[in-house]
Amino acid sequence: MFEYIVSKFNYWAYICLMMIGLYAMIVKGNLVKKLIGMNIFQVSIILFYVSVGAKSGGATVPILTAEDIHHAHAHVLANPLQYMNPLPHVLMLTAIVVGIATTGVALAIIIMIYNRYKTLEEDEILVIRKESGV
Amino acid sequence: MKVFVLIMLLMTGGLLAYGVKDFPGWSNPNAPASTHVSPRYIQAAYTKTHTPNIVTAVLADYRGYDTLGETVVIFTAGMGVILMLRKKRRNKGKDNV
Repeated sequence: MFEYIVSKFNYWAYICLMMIGLYAMIVKGNLVKKLIGMNIFQVSIILFYVSVGAKSGGATVPILTAEDIHHAHAHVLANPLQYMNPLPHVLMLTAIVVGIATTGVALAIIIMIYNRYKTLEEDEILVIRKESGV
Repeated sequence: MKVFVLIMLLMTGGLLAYGVKDFPGWSNPNAPASTHVSPRYIQAAYTKTHTPNIVTAVLADYRGYDTLGETVVIFTAGMGVILMLRKKRRNKGKDNV
């Protein structure tokens, strides 16, 4: 039972993070808090993918050691068990970059909304829009 | 509203936790993600690209076009931010006139 909990604990932690982010995105009225919720959601998925790449049993980061480079010149293949799975790391590098881009654009849009309505609360913005007849 | 959302999130989280039941355990070297394609990359990356860092080899050589598209995403986002924030400044100038 303890073994089972340890082997699944990371997934449960990411599910909790993801639900926290989703809660903030749905319930919070402040636009910056919504954006923070979106970032928490993204980070939970990134952590999930990185944890998929982990390997127990002495695996290191996916950078070839000098010894394995020497072997590769002699056409001796590296042992895959010695290195973590590099593919989730690459994909999450891409995801982090896209996340930064979306966060930047969202913050710029939030600045524009603040300049126009002088508030970031969603309900207050809706009241102002209704009063001004938009 | 809040209670409804909480119930929905608990149900979603419960569904995801139920799906986790079939996942391989953490850092299992025999997990499907680590046994099908990735050994090929670990073994062939150096002889094909002469880059010791496998992540760099995959990012810049195997998926070079994907990374090119990624820079287009960054460029578009940067242009969007610049255009949005510059427009604000120009309007300020016009308001003064």
